Amino acid sequence: MAGFFKIAIRNFLNGPTTDPYPFGETFTPEKYKGIIAYDPELCIGCSTCEYVCPSGAIKVTEKDDGTGVRFVFWLNTCSFCGNCGYYCPTDAVYNSNDFHTARHQSEKFIPTIDDDISYVRCKRCEQKIKAPVEALLIRAYDEITEEVRHQTSLCPDCRRQEQFERM
Amino acid sequence: MLSKYAIKSPWLYRINTGSCNGCDVELATTALIPRYDVERLGCKYTGSPKHADIVLVTGPITVRAEDYLIRMLDEIPEPRVIVAIGICPISGGIFRDSYSIRGPLDKYVEVDVNVSGCPIRPQSILDGVAQAIAIWKDKINQFHEA
Repeated sequence: MAGFFKIAIRNFLNGPTTDPYPFGETFTPEKYKGIIAYDPELCIGCSTCEYVCPSGAIKVTEKDDGTGVRFVFWLNTCSFCGNCGYYCPTDAVYNSNDFHTARHQSEKFIPTIDDDISYVRCKRCEQKIKAPVEALLIRAYDEITEEVRHQTSLCPDCRRQEQFERM
Repeated sequence: MLSKYAIKSPWLYRINTGSCNGCDVELATTALIPRYDVERLGCKYTGSPKHADIVLVTGPITVRAEDYLIRMLDEIPEPRVIVAIGICPISGGIFRDSYSIRGPLDKYVEVDVNVSGCPIRPQSILDGVAQAIAIWKDKINQFHEA
């Protein structure tokens, strides 16, 4: 009997357990898998995310004018599995902990993320190449020297040719 | 006179059209657990489609559920607000282009709010219901003016 009163008094002092969400703040875990976030600074346009996406929410295409790569994410078919973030080599795509997914019907076909990355020119032949990304260079090389910077600013053909010339 | 009070307390009705039960569990959570408590918004679940004001549809509309869905929607009186819960009724989700799926939902009925997620978070459902109530108020006012 005494135990019952103890619990009753404790619950009375603790106040309501109801989450005040639509009228107040709520708690979201740090690692909650919410809406996808995208960082064009880190993206290399490899379209691995598009390949591993089970529900086809991500489309990575060449831009119409050919100046870069377009990344489109459609929220309304994403199952928040996190495959894109898991397989992304540079962590450009990841699950943020934003859970506000309620949208009006008129916004149904508007892409949640519509961003693009631009090509850069090869230093020797002016061919369009994807820009080297710092995060990937740090993973690939122990030390990023001037030589590495020069090599990564060339297109694959020019790089091969330069290696041959040096030999 | 009753319509004045009806604005404040829409009744929720849910239709499962072949859902995996994930979204239904989240809907039950939103309704039954005091932590999320959808009744704070003035809503109440009803068991009859004839009393429904806000309809929550889950599932990708399988071939077997299609006929039941159409009959169910015929029973729900206007004005009504249709809310698609989860990615399945919105776009088909991961079941899209399957031979046994007849979705998305907006082929059958005019959807008002989409709440995406797989499954959705209870807080998102509350968001969606709050948006639906705002639309419901507009709709019932237009209905009585007409």
